[in-house]
Amino acid sequence: MNIATLTANGQHIQSLNKSPRLFLNVMTWEFRRYAASRLFWFQALVLFGLLLFLTWALHVAATLGAPAGGQEGNGALLSGFVAGTSAEGLLRILPTILIVLVLLLPFVTADGVTRDVHRRTHELLMTTALPTWAYVWGRYLAALVISLGLALLLLVSLLGMGWLLHLTTTDYPAPEIGAVLLLWIGMVVSATILVSSVGFALSTLLPRLSTSVKVVIMVAWLVIALVIPVLMLPDDAIPSGWLVNWDPTSEITARGLLPTYVFHPGPTITTEAQLQQLILSVENKVPPLAGWFAPHLLLCGVSLVLVLVAALAFKRSRGTLN
Amino acid sequence: MELTIERLSKRYGQHWALRELSLRIAPGLLGLVGPNGAGKTSLMRMIATLLEPTEGTIRWNGQDIRTHGQSLRQVLGYLPQDFGFYPEFTGRQFLRYLAAMKGLPGSLLNRRVDEVIEMANLEKAADHKLPTYSGGMKQRLGIAQALLNDPELLIVDEPTAGLDPAERVRFRTLLASLTRNRIVLLSTHIISDVEAVANRLIILQGGLVLSDTTPDALLAATEGSVWSVTVDQMTALQLQANYQVSTMVTQMGGVTLRIVSPTRPHEAAVEVPPSLEEAYLLAVGRQAVQV
Repeated sequence: MNIATLTANGQHIQSLNKSPRLFLNVMTWEFRRYAASRLFWFQALVLFGLLLFLTWALHVAATLGAPAGGQEGNGALLSGFVAGTSAEGLLRILPTILIVLVLLLPFVTADGVTRDVHRRTHELLMTTALPTWAYVWGRYLAALVISLGLALLLLVSLLGMGWLLHLTTTDYPAPEIGAVLLLWIGMVVSATILVSSVGFALSTLLPRLSTSVKVVIMVAWLVIALVIPVLMLPDDAIPSGWLVNWDPTSEITARGLLPTYVFHPGPTITTEAQLQQLILSVENKVPPLAGWFAPHLLLCGVSLVLVLVAALAFKRSRGTLN
Repeated sequence: MELTIERLSKRYGQHWALRELSLRIAPGLLGLVGPNGAGKTSLMRMIATLLEPTEGTIRWNGQDIRTHGQSLRQVLGYLPQDFGFYPEFTGRQFLRYLAAMKGLPGSLLNRRVDEVIEMANLEKAADHKLPTYSGGMKQRLGIAQALLNDPELLIVDEPTAGLDPAERVRFRTLLASLTRNRIVLLSTHIISDVEAVANRLIILQGGLVLSDTTPDALLAATEGSVWSVTVDQMTALQLQANYQVSTMVTQMGGVTLRIVSPTRPHEAAVEVPPSLEEAYLLAVGRQAVQV
């Protein structure tokens, strides 16, 4: 076929897809772009390996000591451990593991739209018939789904390593799937949606500052998860209710929930096996949901509103983006 | 099909990039030439809805594109001066991606991608990853993407930058074949790109329209204003300092100059037919030197 026959029909293409289809096109092609990126698969693999390693390294979430026969006993000290993948263990280790995931998320989501500005594909896309809402929401939802996929890796690593430890380590309990799922949704999924949405929205609103947005999110998370608890909460202090309920990093939330698992070995506990059995009966209790679960989901809702604002404020013109 | 521009102006801070430009453009190829900073790219970006005008209006088939930008973008093909790619994709994947974003239905998408790959002479490289593409191949891919939706309005900004001579000729032929039933706006620094294909020529300078003409009319207006002379090195330098010299070639017998001047610049100078580039030089009153 030569140029003349290719171009001489004069029949311009009119049968263009409608907006909902274009929205799906944006999502689909964003997934294809990620799938075609070796770097992305390498990062996901490294993350999964790191999560497995952390779950293994923290599989003894805490060691507990108690005098044999209780306070009235003969004074011999018994010791037991809290399994990292039990409900209590997850309260102790999940906020730490979550930090690893959260530090990666801004790099997945923040550039959903601004990537086109940095890669100079923005003009090619913005001169197509693609509606603005389909472009912004398509990119956001694709980034969110990928982020939730990474959060799913965290769940798989907890359950997988938990079962492996159960099969290979004496007295290590199998993970209670219900409790693990509950804490994963309340702490990990909520944090994933929050960080992904805030990162995407702020970068879309401030495309020239997208790198700063990532840094600010990471630093803010580290401050809330690590610095504030150390500075404001001594070891045994019970944090105030609103901090427990509204802490997006779940570090303070977990501290507020841990007293639920406090127990006092009675005089009948005279051996380490008995103590470990007692710990086992306590550590897999489902943590109370009242107070913190709804606020964590509410934070997700607020972040979605921020995405909506960013989508409404998005301008196609180069002058506003560059 | 008509593109109408009325008193269009664009200001960046205190600098006016374009000032009160008015044009009515019908199907055909309009060449847009002018020195750097003349306002060509600003004009193209405003027409492509990428830049908002400071003043004035642009109408596509009578509709203001500020309020009906979507209907313009449905029929727009745009090749920016500077653009990038997704390094994860092959050339074919990238074209399929942009075809999907342009809303081409699945049944048409693959066929049209194959067609534009052939138009851009990219068959051999289409399934290679984009980071392996040379500058010229990337430019051809950019041209291909602009043609995906068989646009009624095709805007190409410096499309032949990075192309080798054979590819430039092929691209000019392609553009010429596209001018039926559509408006093609071609911005370029390379006058020979528009010489063969443009049926209308706009010369911009300092944000103003210097000339709205045709290549033939511009050439005719320059008749009697281009001279050729062979002189020694010293005289050549004196002539270069006093006249617009379009070419200067050093040979065994001296230096041969082509000079753009309304009057005979030297007693040995002979009148020669002007090229479009020399006509352009006379119009913008600037000097370019090639050795």
